[in-house]
Amino acid sequence: MTVDTLPYTTFFKAKKGIMSWLFTLDHKRVALLYLYSIMTFFLVGASLGILMRLELFHPGKDIVEPHTYNQIFTLHGVIMIFLFIIPSIPAVFGNFFLPLLLGTDDVAFPKLNLFSFWLYVIGALFALGTLVLGDGPADTGWTFYAPYSVRTGTNVTMSVVAAFVLGFSSILTGLNFIVTIHRLRTPGMGFNQMPLFAWSLYATSWIQLLATPVIGITLLMIVAERVFGVGLFDPSIGGDPVLYQHMFWIYSHPAVYIMALPAMGIVSEIIPTFAQRTIFGYKAIAYSSMAIAFIGYFVWGHHMFTSGMSGPAAYIFSILTFLVAIPTSIKVFNWLATLYKGSINIETPLLFALAFIFNFLIGGLTGLVNGALAADIHLHDTYFVVGHFHYVMFGGTGFAFFGALHYWFPKIWGKMYNKKVANTAFATLLIGFNILYFPMIILGIMGMPRRYYDYLPEFTFWNQISTVGSWITVSSLIVLIVNLFVAANKGKKAPDNPWDGITLEWQTKSPPPLENFDKMPKIPEGGPYNYPNAKSSS
Amino acid sequence: MSDKENIHISSYKEHVSTWLALILLTFMTVFVSVFGAELRTLSVATAMIIATVKATAVGYYFMHLKYDPKIYKIMMATVLGLFVFFMLMITLDYITR
Repeated sequence: MTVDTLPYTTFFKAKKGIMSWLFTLDHKRVALLYLYSIMTFFLVGASLGILMRLELFHPGKDIVEPHTYNQIFTLHGVIMIFLFIIPSIPAVFGNFFLPLLLGTDDVAFPKLNLFSFWLYVIGALFALGTLVLGDGPADTGWTFYAPYSVRTGTNVTMSVVAAFVLGFSSILTGLNFIVTIHRLRTPGMGFNQMPLFAWSLYATSWIQLLATPVIGITLLMIVAERVFGVGLFDPSIGGDPVLYQHMFWIYSHPAVYIMALPAMGIVSEIIPTFAQRTIFGYKAIAYSSMAIAFIGYFVWGHHMFTSGMSGPAAYIFSILTFLVAIPTSIKVFNWLATLYKGSINIETPLLFALAFIFNFLIGGLTGLVNGALAADIHLHDTYFVVGHFHYVMFGGTGFAFFGALHYWFPKIWGKMYNKKVANTAFATLLIGFNILYFPMIILGIMGMPRRYYDYLPEFTFWNQISTVGSWITVSSLIVLIVNLFVAANKGKKAPDNPWDGITLEWQTKSPPPLENFDKMPKIPEGGPYNYPNAKSSS
Repeated sequence: MSDKENIHISSYKEHVSTWLALILLTFMTVFVSVFGAELRTLSVATAMIIATVKATAVGYYFMHLKYDPKIYKIMMATVLGLFVFFMLMITLDYITR
């Protein structure tokens, strides 16, 4: 019997009982706690999205009243942004795989990690509490724009407190990752020997750490205005609503990169594995993550071109916005160059990664249209923006999230899913997704405003196509999730390295033991994408 | 980090001098807000500059940034730079509307 086949205790079996999960300090278990919570809220958010699409099937009332519709789209946004997309990849895959990719046994502050999770739960309870407490969920949209958020009778205060608490969870996770990356890399692993997912988490963590406090204080200012009548944003009591928009977007635009950068990191891990070659342009991809994070701080004003902001400020923000496209396109070029002449093995994770590139390009290019001052005057606050945003968030981050779930599934659970079902779910999801969101881009160009309960008859056709797309999308998601759920419980045992992965996490057993590695990992010559696999040793 | 870098004991003189400087700057903030209220934007800008100087002094002397490696100073300077950019762009928007 070789060392590799010796029996060992997986992190699943290292400790037993519900309390060993709820108060675990193991980064892998914390990651799974996040995964189960995040997936639950994703399904709640998706259900609210379906309700919106059903309501918009015909002009006029279909299933809910206008006020309820406003509350549904607000709760959909709050749940999907703060409870799903922002924490999704960092909290789940970052927590699980960052220590594995760095060759260490845990994050720098395990107790802080657990505290972050419980803050997430508390924040989620506040968000869902608006359903049953006070005058119901906020009806402001997830942006909580003043002065309406100051004046509405709905439970804005509780929604805002939810976002505030969730922000703290995000800050602490970012802090934990930064210290982990600086302090716990395995000996011999410099910054330029780190896997690209770790680089993307590093860039993301800086945004979480530096930008999130701004939204925290801004949201507290909303509460101060609602509760104490302090004139900050409401012009009727001496405030300035444009100041709110500045402060909100100083966080919320960099937050887009909290959502997108880890997804790019996932793609940078999947592509070399399934192209069976080292990544092309390692440093260019690594440093472009930092460049995106850095430039992302300077572009918030492009959300405000029609807010009454001054012309000179708008010009500057427009120019800066176009700069973000450069590091993003550097990444896309290097991913494609990695695939070029690679020994490509088409599996479900690679399909998700390729779909990410396709969807993200549409999302990115429509973003540039929004960043152009003249075009934005026509498109601002139309369905074009909703389409663009969902192409980036769901088509980009969502697809990367599900790609990562399929990629690392055998490492996490030590089992393999049904690949045919997974590929079918992927194909229908990609089709359903495009049928759902591309009509929104067309509707926006036609002039249909976002967040409207009713619409003119000429918008009916594309709205109905979009709603049909939502049915295909949700059906695909159900198949995808059930397939993975069944595999986690009854799937066939997977080998330690089923994809012939060439990165560090595939060097340990599946599922990993509690301490991740039996012995201190060594860095191979040729960088972090050159670890041996079955092919290289045969 | 070597042991040599870990050991740094600040003198009482340095601590007391920093504390006195912070007290003085606090009085300056109050003075500007009371007697320079009619200056409006300028008085706010002055208060912000004084607050930044105070925060830098706390970070540099009380939080021992002066003993830390250069990378931490660069990180702090970057954060400060971002804050300055936020303030500049918002101010630019206001004065050019």
